[in-house]
Amino acid sequence: MVKTADKIEEEIRAIFSGDTPWVTIVWDDPVNLQTYVVYVFMELFGYSKARATELMLKVHNEGKAVVSTGSREEMEHDVARLHEYGLWATLQRGDQL
Amino acid sequence: MSATEGFKRHGDHSYVATFAESEKEVLLNLCEQIIELLAERTDIGNEDPLAAMVGITTHDSPPEDEVLHRLLPNAYADAVDASEFRRYTESNLRQKKQAHAISMRIHLKSAEDGIVDLDHDNANAWLGAINDIRLALGVRLKVENNSQEDLELLAPDDPLRGVYAVYTWLGWLQETLLQALIDDSDEDEESELGNS
Repeated sequence: MVKTADKIEEEIRAIFSGDTPWVTIVWDDPVNLQTYVVYVFMELFGYSKARATELMLKVHNEGKAVVSTGSREEMEHDVARLHEYGLWATLQRGDQL
Repeated sequence: MSATEGFKRHGDHSYVATFAESEKEVLLNLCEQIIELLAERTDIGNEDPLAAMVGITTHDSPPEDEVLHRLLPNAYADAVDASEFRRYTESNLRQKKQAHAISMRIHLKSAEDGIVDLDHDNANAWLGAINDIRLALGVRLKVENNSQEDLELLAPDDPLRGVYAVYTWLGWLQETLLQALIDDSDEDEESELGNS
């Protein structure tokens, strides 16, 4: 895909302004129990039960959900922790969702 | 000894279950299998001791074994980013998963009268280990393609029938531990520390 000048300029701006356009995505998995996914979100991210449940339902109903946002490094850390607990997670640039 | 009733919370931050001998044997056997499976993926031929020490592995492609692949998934959709990330992190991920299973094995081995008593951190290790076992069994049962109905209708002589029975039992056991833990955290519902 050829990037437009606007696109490149936007990316450069993001890099220099310290913007953090990365996201962690959790994908639906038929094995993981719903309660388990809620609990892992609460434990790893400190989310309330209500927020964790909302995210779990989004994963379940839509096949995936953004569960955290931040720098690339932070998202790599989040993905590693989610993998440790067996959730199916990936990270990517937030503007490429 | 009668079949376990699952985990229950005892007092503050203590989660207790009593297992029958046969249940303990099944759980121990499954722990061993996960520990062995993860050990199969050693970092053979990492000539650089410093690289080995800081956890850089020789693996930059995902495991061919389907179960290992599910336990050690790619972190990026992009293949180049995924292999780079794997090279620096997979060894650490394997160690953490092994540690969860080893922790579970230690508790089971030292359980007197089948009683397992976990604190919060131990409980998290158990949850992770049980989940890894379920992920592994789930791959064997092809839960991606087989519906729950398909699996419940397996013929009595189908070897997967026993696997499915263990898989659903572990799900139930995990759920009892989760309920005990979540009851706990209901009390500090207001303390949201979310970073988003």
